[in-house]
Amino acid sequence: MTEADSGAPPPEEGHLFAGYETDPVFYDEMFDTGGSPWDHCRELWAALGETPPDALATMQERAERSFLHEGITFSVYGEEGAQERIIPIDIVPRIVAAEHWDFLERGLRQRLEALNLFLADIYGPGRAIADGVSPADLVRGCPQLRDAMQGVDVPHGAYVSVCGTDLVRTHDGFLVLEDNLRVPSGVSYMLANRAAVKTSLRDAFRRHRVRGIEHYGRLLRRTLAELSPHGGPDPTIVLMTPGVYNSAFYEHMFLAREMGVELVQGADLVARDGFVYMRTTGGLRRVDVIYRRIDDDFLDPLTFRPDSVLGTPGLFDAYRLGNVTIANAPGTGVADDKSVYAYVPDIIRYFLNEEPLLANVETRLCRDPDGLEYTLDNLDKLVVKEVGGSGGYGMLVGPHATAAERADFAEKIRAAPENYISQPTLDLSRAPCLTEDGAAPRHVDLRPFVLRGKETRMVPGAFCRVALTPGSLVVNSSQGGGGKDLWVLSG
Amino acid sequence: MLSRSALGLYWIGRYLERAQHSCRLIADQLETMKDRPVDEIDKSWRRLYGGLRRVPAGGELSSNLGDEGFMLVDAFTLTDDLTFDAGNPDSIRGCLANARENARQVRNVVDEDLWACLNLAFFDLRDLGITDIWRDRPGDFYRRTEDAVRTFFGIAGSNMYRDDGWHFLQLGRFVERAQLISALLEAQLAVYPAGGPTANQAVDQAADPDWLSLLRICAAREAYGRLHSLHYDPAAVVDFLVADPLLSRSIRYALGQVGQALDAVSAGRPLIAEAGRRAGRLAAAIDYDWPNRDPADEEAIRATLRGIGESCRRLHDDIDAAYFSYGPEDGEVGEDGP
Repeated sequence: MTEADSGAPPPEEGHLFAGYETDPVFYDEMFDTGGSPWDHCRELWAALGETPPDALATMQERAERSFLHEGITFSVYGEEGAQERIIPIDIVPRIVAAEHWDFLERGLRQRLEALNLFLADIYGPGRAIADGVSPADLVRGCPQLRDAMQGVDVPHGAYVSVCGTDLVRTHDGFLVLEDNLRVPSGVSYMLANRAAVKTSLRDAFRRHRVRGIEHYGRLLRRTLAELSPHGGPDPTIVLMTPGVYNSAFYEHMFLAREMGVELVQGADLVARDGFVYMRTTGGLRRVDVIYRRIDDDFLDPLTFRPDSVLGTPGLFDAYRLGNVTIANAPGTGVADDKSVYAYVPDIIRYFLNEEPLLANVETRLCRDPDGLEYTLDNLDKLVVKEVGGSGGYGMLVGPHATAAERADFAEKIRAAPENYISQPTLDLSRAPCLTEDGAAPRHVDLRPFVLRGKETRMVPGAFCRVALTPGSLVVNSSQGGGGKDLWVLSG
Repeated sequence: MLSRSALGLYWIGRYLERAQHSCRLIADQLETMKDRPVDEIDKSWRRLYGGLRRVPAGGELSSNLGDEGFMLVDAFTLTDDLTFDAGNPDSIRGCLANARENARQVRNVVDEDLWACLNLAFFDLRDLGITDIWRDRPGDFYRRTEDAVRTFFGIAGSNMYRDDGWHFLQLGRFVERAQLISALLEAQLAVYPAGGPTANQAVDQAADPDWLSLLRICAAREAYGRLHSLHYDPAAVVDFLVADPLLSRSIRYALGQVGQALDAVSAGRPLIAEAGRRAGRLAAAIDYDWPNRDPADEEAIRATLRGIGESCRRLHDDIDAAYFSYGPEDGEVGEDGP
């Protein structure tokens, strides 16, 4: 730490935080700009300081070994085919104060409410486009738009019933980085990280009065049950997975188990006479709600991609007839498109008549000539993303790229400007992470999950991702990021 | 239960039974190699490979009986083939990898403790090779691996809810066992004709090691000893392993378990599936027809064993058709139930 005169005694040699350096540019999740722990982090800071660093390292190893043994893994593609890997955990939790969380939660609920109304409008009357809230050609030309959804009745207007919003924090507060409205993943790592850290740091956990998140599975099940087409009690819910080769398969399995529902693949389902059944050892059994973790394109080869072997022929017809619910609804990707993102604040104002609580990152669309010019002129300062990309693939972090990489990327942008947006490189907040040389700051983001059935629900927690490479801003699991437990404190 | 989940559990049962059986066979073979003459070791390998219906890499077992050194090199290669060889899906590692992969795919219906047991068992041998276990007491490796399988079934027995998942795990395990034991008995009679010089041996002769080891492989030596004193009469040994309803590795016992599991999973269905009928007929044939065989007519006994083996293999197809791979149009719409 640079300054130690504001309350905290200077840490001694060998102390976990002895070499920790805050940087005024970045908000630090544990320390104020003077280098003192925030009040809401004090217990944890003290507890960590009293724990020998090698004991912390042992806890971390133990947690990661238990992930491997319990199979809490995801698959990475490339190198030598698919490999099972764990998401490395950093044992030092990130704390969010009660009042910060309350604000965040209100902002997330507001945002999802507006996005669901926007989707209902796109696939319904089309008022927003007619009124010029977002450009018509942007929405109509979006590859994620699903014409088949026009006029489909969606229970409770919950097009998006599971949303995983990526947020970052700067000195200006929380910013929404992207809305993941299709099949967001990561909630199982949120729960796995909590289980591991709660065991390791139980005293600090108790003293901080951390709010529980373990009921996520129950909330999800309740949310899905509310979407049942017949409204009867105890609908049959299934979780639909592309299968064991999907990178998030562990999570699919985990959630199916948490909810006590069957984990099905396309071939396990049969659509017959407008209803959907699953093939059980006791014959065909009717299915009411499908929580699908498979992309739109692969749901039903008769409606979407004809070459898909992962889906169930006839599934969409049964959905359109109102005999089964698919959650999230097909076609939600039009609202989390990175170009549409730029218009979300206006969408909130239009549908809710409220000012957005959570800010967007300033975004320039390369489809606009001004945006393109600005982007190409400032590539060394910007982050450029593909509008349909995800998982940290297909993006350029200008300041960290070489001149040659930037030149290559500029070519790609010029070739298809409508495929790209640019944003300023953000001063992502940092949180202390355990390294071989004691605690060191690393950039973090967070992905909370919002559920929407008849009503909106959330657990007070998030999958907190951390860029384990010093200085790196890329937190994606597929790009070498790790996870942290996130503690939301009781008020 | 979802058909695919049931299928996964069924295969976990089969692969683990197969792994355990191989462990027992190899552990016994390693014992045999300690103190037996080369030609007997060679016969024992023939029984082992015949019982697994496997042809060693290279086409057939070598018969270089004059060369003891060669024999040992051979043992190294054969043991590797049965334990680790990547080209042998039924190797012990292959079986554990397959069991684990099945468990991974249907993990939402596999108890946490069960998964952890299987996952650890797999990681314990995933990176091993024959040289790692060969130098120092290789038998320990097979005992340890068999222990892991036994632990798995022990946890299953104590933790699992007795719904279809449990019954399909049992079904896989005992369908596999019935097949393995019938194949082993066929191989035994092919390599060691029962009417040979060891038949009707006197009690004071040294026990015939080939029949003793067969009992040992089937964990049946002690029970046999209590019933038949220590007279290892081939006909009595075969009878014990085919027809004794109380011996856990007899064909009859395995069929009984298959029948029970099939009854449980068909409960409430209007028709008993072909699998149930076949298992019942086979059990009845062993109970009522087998005792009437002519112990001297070895050819007839071998034919009977072949028939039993064939029926056990058909059981699998019946089960598959009834519960796993029925077409979308064949499926009757079931009652709402678990």
